[in-house]
Amino acid sequence: MARQEKKKDVVIVGLGWTGSIIGMELAQEGLEIVALERGHDQDTVPNFQYPQMIDELKYGVRLGMMQKPRQSTLTIRRNLEESALPYRSLGSFLPGNGVGGAGTHWNGLNWRPMLAEYKLRSHVEQNWGAGIIPEDMQLMDYPVTYEELEPHFARFERVAGISGNAGNINGQIIEGGNPFEAPRSSDYPMPAMPSTYDGAKFAEAAKSLGLHPFARPGGIASTSYVNEYGMQMGPCNHCGFCERYGCYQYSKSSPQTAILDALRKKPNFSYRTGAEVLRVEMAEDGKTATGVTYYDEAAQEEVFQPADLVILAAYQLHNVHLMLLSGIGQPYDPRTGQGVTGKNYAYQMNGGYTLFYENEVFNPFIGTGANGFSIDDYGIGQIDFGTEGFIGGSYISSGQSNGQPIRSMPLPAGTPAWGQGWKDGIKKWYGHSMSIGSHGSHMAYRNNYLDLDPTYKDRHGRPLMRMTFNWHDNEVRMTQFMREKIRPIAEALKPDSMQDAFKKQGQMYDVRPYQTTHNTGGAIMSETPDQGAVNKFSQAWDKHNVFVMGAGNFVQNTQYNPTGLVGGLAYHTAQAIRTQYLSNPRPLV
Amino acid sequence: MTDLPGLPSRRSFLKATAAGAALSGLAVSAKARTAEPPVPLDQYQPEFFTPAEWTFVLAATARLIPSEGDGPGALEARVPVFIDREMMGGYGAAADWYMEGPHQPDADPFRGWQTPLTPAEVYRGAIPVFDAWCQQTHGGAFAELDAAKQDAALTALQKGEVALDPTLKDFFSILLQNTKEGYFADPMYGGNHGMQAWTFIGFPGARANFKEWVPRYNVEYPLGPVSIKGERA
Amino acid sequence: MKTFLRIIGALIVVCLAALLAFIFVPVQRTAPTEELAADWTPEAGQGEYVMYASDCMACHTAEGGEPFAGGRSILSPMGTIWATNITPDKETGIGNWTLDDFRAALYDGLTPDGRHLYPAMPYENYRKLTEEDVRALYDYFMNEVPAVNNPVEATALSFPFNMRFGIRAWNWIALSDPAGSAYEQSTPQERGRYLVESAGHCGACHSPRNVFMGQDGLTADDANFLKGGEVDGWLAPALMGEGSAAATWPVGEIATYLATGRNSHSTANGEMSMVVEHSLQHLTDEDNLAIAAFLKGEDVGEATLLGTDLALEEAENDHPTTTMLTEAKDLSEGARLYLDNCNACHFVTGKGAPEIFPELAGNSLVTADQTGPLIGIILHGAEVPSTEKRPMRLVMQGYAERLTDEEVAEVASFLRTAWGNDAPAVTAADVAKVRAADSAH
Repeated sequence: MARQEKKKDVVIVGLGWTGSIIGMELAQEGLEIVALERGHDQDTVPNFQYPQMIDELKYGVRLGMMQKPRQSTLTIRRNLEESALPYRSLGSFLPGNGVGGAGTHWNGLNWRPMLAEYKLRSHVEQNWGAGIIPEDMQLMDYPVTYEELEPHFARFERVAGISGNAGNINGQIIEGGNPFEAPRSSDYPMPAMPSTYDGAKFAEAAKSLGLHPFARPGGIASTSYVNEYGMQMGPCNHCGFCERYGCYQYSKSSPQTAILDALRKKPNFSYRTGAEVLRVEMAEDGKTATGVTYYDEAAQEEVFQPADLVILAAYQLHNVHLMLLSGIGQPYDPRTGQGVTGKNYAYQMNGGYTLFYENEVFNPFIGTGANGFSIDDYGIGQIDFGTEGFIGGSYISSGQSNGQPIRSMPLPAGTPAWGQGWKDGIKKWYGHSMSIGSHGSHMAYRNNYLDLDPTYKDRHGRPLMRMTFNWHDNEVRMTQFMREKIRPIAEALKPDSMQDAFKKQGQMYDVRPYQTTHNTGGAIMSETPDQGAVNKFSQAWDKHNVFVMGAGNFVQNTQYNPTGLVGGLAYHTAQAIRTQYLSNPRPLV
Repeated sequence: MTDLPGLPSRRSFLKATAAGAALSGLAVSAKARTAEPPVPLDQYQPEFFTPAEWTFVLAATARLIPSEGDGPGALEARVPVFIDREMMGGYGAAADWYMEGPHQPDADPFRGWQTPLTPAEVYRGAIPVFDAWCQQTHGGAFAELDAAKQDAALTALQKGEVALDPTLKDFFSILLQNTKEGYFADPMYGGNHGMQAWTFIGFPGARANFKEWVPRYNVEYPLGPVSIKGERA
Repeated sequence: MKTFLRIIGALIVVCLAALLAFIFVPVQRTAPTEELAADWTPEAGQGEYVMYASDCMACHTAEGGEPFAGGRSILSPMGTIWATNITPDKETGIGNWTLDDFRAALYDGLTPDGRHLYPAMPYENYRKLTEEDVRALYDYFMNEVPAVNNPVEATALSFPFNMRFGIRAWNWIALSDPAGSAYEQSTPQERGRYLVESAGHCGACHSPRNVFMGQDGLTADDANFLKGGEVDGWLAPALMGEGSAAATWPVGEIATYLATGRNSHSTANGEMSMVVEHSLQHLTDEDNLAIAAFLKGEDVGEATLLGTDLALEEAENDHPTTTMLTEAKDLSEGARLYLDNCNACHFVTGKGAPEIFPELAGNSLVTADQTGPLIGIILHGAEVPSTEKRPMRLVMQGYAERLTDEEVAEVASFLRTAWGNDAPAVTAADVAKVRAADSAH
């Protein structure tokens, strides 16, 4: 029999970005709230402090800030025939752990999706007809519009503290910003960060080719910043330790810099760490949740936390896992296409060029996670899908993020991986290269999905979640298109030599090299209950007092880094709960 | 000085220990707080590796990052010490990894670490097998071979031409990976002695602040590295 | 000769009598400065507000203890003074005190049984409180603070400081000003003056001490009022007049500092950070602006506290130190250590960044004669508390592990001469002293 805690109005599962946002918004309603975080507590000092954080081995390589697979992982297979094998050590993606979640160790890249991405299925059908949609692509519209989300994007950008130059304010195109972005109601709260040499070179070359470079927007402070809660950021010093690291400088947008100390002051909000939620408990009638059961690490026992409102605010993979374990939404079955939970898992399709210059120095250790310049000329809204033969798009950037030598050592093709040739190569080429990368959309497919694994169990005896995922031709065509579009820019930059890495047709998913922690879908939002697990307010269709936050809601992945959309959706949900749900708890759609 | 049996690149090893001893003084002299100079590599008592394994690790890392030419080799950087310590720590024991069965060690490499063995167990299992292969193929244990044969043996290992049990198949990749880690990690982990590897390539280590350098395009950064503990080189 | 002896004898008798009277005759309590109606009651929250303004919490609450239950040790050169329990507990607190008893403690430093309080209790300043504020405060402690039974260790100072009658003599000098002066409080500057001179007891730290160790300057009429003092080895900088922060910061910036412990230039450290945490952050914006206006001798005008949703550019400069650090060539040991350890936040300009990284250029803590705080912060870091308007707890980590005594001395000496700072060098021995003292704690 589990220990039972005193009932709360709201229980929040996970205290990362979305848990902090929803915690703050609902705390302002005076509700009694508890957040349950499976990891440890952490703050800028002491957890991220200088110089201990500047440790590539501990954090960059041994992944000190990340989830430990021994504590929590999943299994992966590439198709329905393969037997899934555990993701035993982290590689392809790196879920975070502890208070602040992935919001502590991200790069800070912050975007709003392009206008075409909200109603992508309609966009395709209207312009080219449904015939161009591949048979197994489950292309969907978001049930929300950009207009509905715009104020929430703006709010998230102000709370998180995003630096950037607007390109379109209320329809007016602004020089220096992204002319292809959806019209915004206001500029970014801080001006864009200055760029390093590589980004500046790229911008100049792109401009000379008639393209439209703009400083890459990100949650990296270009000035001192104070947000609406009085929370603060300090100007970034380009230390080159963003992704995989907590920021020692108070410069990176994170729950720690944007929300948590303000939230800690709320007497009606509390949080418990070492509290891993095992399942959401349901009422007899199955229509609502009664709370959650979690494992109390300190007491080594299960605890039932009753609550009127359950917010799943863990990482996308964990939210979907909890839904599958708790019976929230019918599990998706790829053979029948029925069911919703686990449906439309998607990822990201990226590629890039490396350019080598024997006689130029880039000081690669100077950087930030959101450094440099981008172009959106080949964004999803700019491409003629009918002509090009794929659905999707990418933004393209250059800007070094780190020069940490264990992992960041680009060498010209043909350089040996070891021995004298390698040693000569690192001397010759460290600091003498730049890269141009494309960051592209990823559509949803019938057979890319999440369910429960039949074989492997976690430390609590629960089945691991199983990911079935592989690359599809559409994305490969898209990324090969980007390869062709970047080449002239790279050539205009006149490197001594250059090489590229883009996925090729038939290439299988490799779980080992880091690709991106942009895992999306599985708890997708939909117009109707048969298509997705949650409605436009991220409310579970079949359990109206359960809200599921985060990138699990994405119907397919956008061409951008997901945090901006995650933040916008979180504020959109918070507003719906505050203004519509609390006064009359019910299905909002 | 103890003669290490069968260490073929003895010349470079001698150079390494001499340089290492010199450098241990040099590296800390930049800082007022004098750290105890580490024991020379040839007197280092490995905590994890057996003498035979240690002999192999010294010899193999010396080929993966040789001492010849500019810059430190793995031995000058005390990479073997780093690997020995890592084997004793959480990494060697796969402490963070999901190690529950069933295991499928012969799975497609794209599917990641699937052996039931920890990294430390892979070293322990693979070194004697590889040494035996070297004996059979080249007429001596790895450490006894000349440099050219060692390189050939490592190449064969890298290409999967050495018949290792599937549970050991990641041996070369972790050996190479750990060697580079020991070369470039902060010196507090035992390798990158005196921050020589950082100095060699021009990485400033744990300084981690460059605001005033952002707009200085194509200008070489002038300062040498600093370590987490504050040593300078 | 006989006459002479007789005179001497008489004088001795008189002196003895005077001394006995001095020791044993009850001292007079100051009467209320204003007659309030018997049924006068404070407005809701008024008493608590006076408590915040008076920072009663700082001394009368022990670390981790119940509010106002006493037990906090206050280190003085004469020995440890234990702050008393001022909750309304009848046995161990002030539950039996009458309003007159309470007023006597605030105005005259007297306990109900006529003993003298040690002047760690700033009755020199509290005697300026208006009768309304005294009544409100009394009402708050009697009716709003929960009684806590918490016997507090009696203060036992060494001889002669344990002779409390000595304080009586001291009081003759220290309490020469009349109690409860009639303050005009109709303009912000007048209100600010009242708060600073009475409840705020700013002079307790920021006025120099006279030869009797009393505050050399109790009101703005005194020449040395708030011209800088020293507390526990820290410089309590001048708050008024030339060279003071008030002279250089605008009213809004001063008020922001008071309310949040941070502003565009600096952050609060040491004792001041506790004053911000326990007292000033709880004052209204109007009162913090009033204090700022009084200190600066300027109207509040349009000044406001720094708001929220703000991007604040950091200051630039082209001082030779800045150029030298930017070039990063031919660096002194101190300059190199600065780049390796300090530059990340305080930058080559030494200007830091508004609201978060304090300026080192022109910073009185950096250039103070008292080098202990600068060394202490380099070794152990510093923390700005979470406040209502700026909830972020700002922490600088310490460098005790990373830097040797010599290195701390080098970098401190560099700071004391960089960007136009002009203060003598710090030695490794100075650092060793601070390190040893702190590790003894």
